[in-house]
Amino acid sequence: MNSDLVIGMAGSGGDGIVAAGESLLTAAAIEGYHGVLTKSFGPQIRGGESSFRLRLSTSKVLNTGGTLDIAVALSWDDFLRFGGELPIGGDTTVIYDSNSKVPTDKIPLVGVKPAEVLMVPIEQMARDTGGSDRSKNTVVLGLMAGWLGVGKAPMEAGIKKRLAKKEADVIEKAVKAFYAGLEYAEAHPLSTDRKMSPPAKPTAKFVVDGNDLCAAAAIVAGCDFFSGYPITPSTEIMQFLGREIWKYGGTMLQAEDEIAGIGAVVGASFAGKKAMTATSGPGMSLKTEMLGLASIAELPLVCVNVQRGGPSTGIPTKAEQSDLFQAVFSAHGDVIRPVLAPISAEDMYGVTIEAFNMAEQYQTPVIVLSDQEVGQRKETAEPIDASTTEIVNRRKPSEQELEKYVRFRFTESGISPISHPGMKGGNYLASGIEHNESGAPTANGEMHARMNEKRLNKFNPLRSRKDLFVIQGPADAPIALISWGSVAGVCIEAVEIARRQGMNVKLLVPKLLYPVSEAIYADFFMSVKRGLVVEQNHQAQLFRLLRMFVDVPRGIETLAKSGSNPITPLEVVDRLRRITLALQQGKDREPAEV
Amino acid sequence: MSTLATRPIQDYTAKDYKSELKPIWCPGCGDFGVVQAIYRALSNIGRPPHEIAFISGIGCSSRIPGYTTAYGFNTVHGRALPIAQGIKLANPDLLVLGAGGDGDGFSIGGGHVAHAIRRNIDITYIVMDNQIYGLTKGQLSPTSRRGLTSVSSTHGSMEAPVNPLAYVLGYGAEFVAQGTPADMSGLAQIIEEGIRHPGFAFINVQSPCVTYGMEDQQLKAQKASMQTLASINHDPSNILAAMDLAHQYGEKLYTGVFYKKPTPSPTFEGQARARHEALQAGSRPRAAVLDLFKLKK
Repeated sequence: MNSDLVIGMAGSGGDGIVAAGESLLTAAAIEGYHGVLTKSFGPQIRGGESSFRLRLSTSKVLNTGGTLDIAVALSWDDFLRFGGELPIGGDTTVIYDSNSKVPTDKIPLVGVKPAEVLMVPIEQMARDTGGSDRSKNTVVLGLMAGWLGVGKAPMEAGIKKRLAKKEADVIEKAVKAFYAGLEYAEAHPLSTDRKMSPPAKPTAKFVVDGNDLCAAAAIVAGCDFFSGYPITPSTEIMQFLGREIWKYGGTMLQAEDEIAGIGAVVGASFAGKKAMTATSGPGMSLKTEMLGLASIAELPLVCVNVQRGGPSTGIPTKAEQSDLFQAVFSAHGDVIRPVLAPISAEDMYGVTIEAFNMAEQYQTPVIVLSDQEVGQRKETAEPIDASTTEIVNRRKPSEQELEKYVRFRFTESGISPISHPGMKGGNYLASGIEHNESGAPTANGEMHARMNEKRLNKFNPLRSRKDLFVIQGPADAPIALISWGSVAGVCIEAVEIARRQGMNVKLLVPKLLYPVSEAIYADFFMSVKRGLVVEQNHQAQLFRLLRMFVDVPRGIETLAKSGSNPITPLEVVDRLRRITLALQQGKDREPAEV
Repeated sequence: MSTLATRPIQDYTAKDYKSELKPIWCPGCGDFGVVQAIYRALSNIGRPPHEIAFISGIGCSSRIPGYTTAYGFNTVHGRALPIAQGIKLANPDLLVLGAGGDGDGFSIGGGHVAHAIRRNIDITYIVMDNQIYGLTKGQLSPTSRRGLTSVSSTHGSMEAPVNPLAYVLGYGAEFVAQGTPADMSGLAQIIEEGIRHPGFAFINVQSPCVTYGMEDQQLKAQKASMQTLASINHDPSNILAAMDLAHQYGEKLYTGVFYKKPTPSPTFEGQARARHEALQAGSRPRAAVLDLFKLKK
């Protein structure tokens, strides 16, 4: 029995690969299993190669793991195009369609001998039962239900539900295809046991992806306006709100470009509404000027960047964490904009709510740095209870304050009550021009300095928000592991493995990346002699950002890889082991041998 | 349609819309006349200043919201329209004015005009067209005439000017007019009519730059050459005639309404309101959106 399995499958675009992955995850989630599903495609608009990676577990998982336990190749050509995304190792069970006529000892894998290789007549079974090769994915679902012992009843129900509008014989054929796979699996048991143990709690989970959950959280947070422009991999946020926000009285405007998208959001916020836009790297570059406007006009808004490979068009369909510098430093002028990063799709709920609350509280644009992995992967999540969600609204002027209203009044907190059109007595001039307390334009250097002080100091309370950090492990551990965003999910698991193996490691994951909370890092680094910062970008952007603000111990090194190259828990554990050895040898500073 | 935008709530005079800020414009700038015309139009309409949002971009003319008592927003270069649209969609009860120069509307922000028009959001957009960049001290603008020498075109412009009137008619604008501060009361009337039009209204104002503009564009020259469209018996419901007259931009100075669609199209915000009603918006708690993630056995 297994508590954790990683399944990878690839075929051509028309094979329904992704649908199969989603069906398997949904069925498992109904039975109470946890899982994470990522999809990957070739660059073609339709057709081309298509794949999924699904990790199933009896307890919560935050990444898609490493080497595959089960690999399913409907076509070897398609499978091999995914390279390191679907790694086969010595412990992998390899299943492929016998239509390829490749003998089991001649499969096209170089330098690796999988534990078991099975040639299965997948297409043949599909034709015999479903009448065409279109049922191949259903046959595979049957195989998985048989070999894993997961999801039989919900998958059969799912097939019937999905085809409910079709004719009876279509449903019957699909069910037959499913049973063909199931019976084949029962008749051909695997030499390596791939059955899953029962889940820790057999209660049904939510299945979420980061983009949809971000959009839903925005509605819960009180967002009444969204405007954006289609861009991979963030578009699902706009599409979700285009369907749902109207039901709650809100408005979605598909803008003519990225600038107009955030422009309309700035306008809606000026008009008193909570508003959001979402984009990816190229759109972020275009939105920068408007972010500066919202900062100086002190208008709340949320801007989501679902990061992809960059620069420029880069790799639109794959994750990277290379926009951190841009999020922090893109503005001209002296300015702080809070930057938040979710560590999983499930985490997107809390982070989006926090982004709206922070925007409202501090009258500022807040950037949510998601990435393609968090945005588009599907994962199981515990049901969300919105009744415990705290919602913050901007501080509006009181009747008394409206009698002699001063929009940018200097206050102790730096936060001034904000009116909006329609509010009698609250009339003021908002502007991108430097202004005095009442909003009148000024070019006076002293006023500019005072306003900068107001606009920057108002963020000071954020620096002690320890709740925006994940900190695990013994406080006196000499070895630190630091990561952020989707890669943090890899590190959370890595630190557990490392500690089980006796390494004295602690973990820090900032969800608030900027402003940098100097004191929290300083406290964390007190005991640290060596460590590792793990992130999915070439320049080690978080590491370098921390070095700018914090005394980072000299023995901290980096594991930084460009986007779409997976980082696995075992790879991180391996580096931690070398670091531990170096420390045991009394080396505090020299780089650990890699 | 926006009934509030046309309902006099109480008597206001032009002075009620004038703020205490002193304009930075050069003495004799055409924009002084434009802001006077706006005060007058707004007092005729009678909406209280706090129900008006006045949005501009960057440029000499874009300082204009600050000289009114409305809620003003002096934004970034070329982006008055996207921001104004966000405001109107967030609160359709507001009276929303947009303003800027020809550079704002037809150069850096030119891409937004077509889309504001096709959405038909009820905004009145006033472009103060002076055919030059005044704030940056005298460079070519998108409406500068071919051959113009300036600090950025020492050897003369080699580009044809944009024709704002023909552009917006081509984009499908349903209210298109032109005025000049040389005829302040005529301009005030045009602005008032634009505001009362239920949908996007475009008003080009020949507002001369006294410092960098040409002789033949100054108010005195305009007074001599201008001709009202009424005086030539133009029928503003005739789109082809309007287009024909608009094509004389740069040669003849016509003032008045070029085109006003007799049966205006639905506004974006009007359709949004209908959608909200059809979906019974507001009848469910926001948390209901989370039900979408529940799995059904």
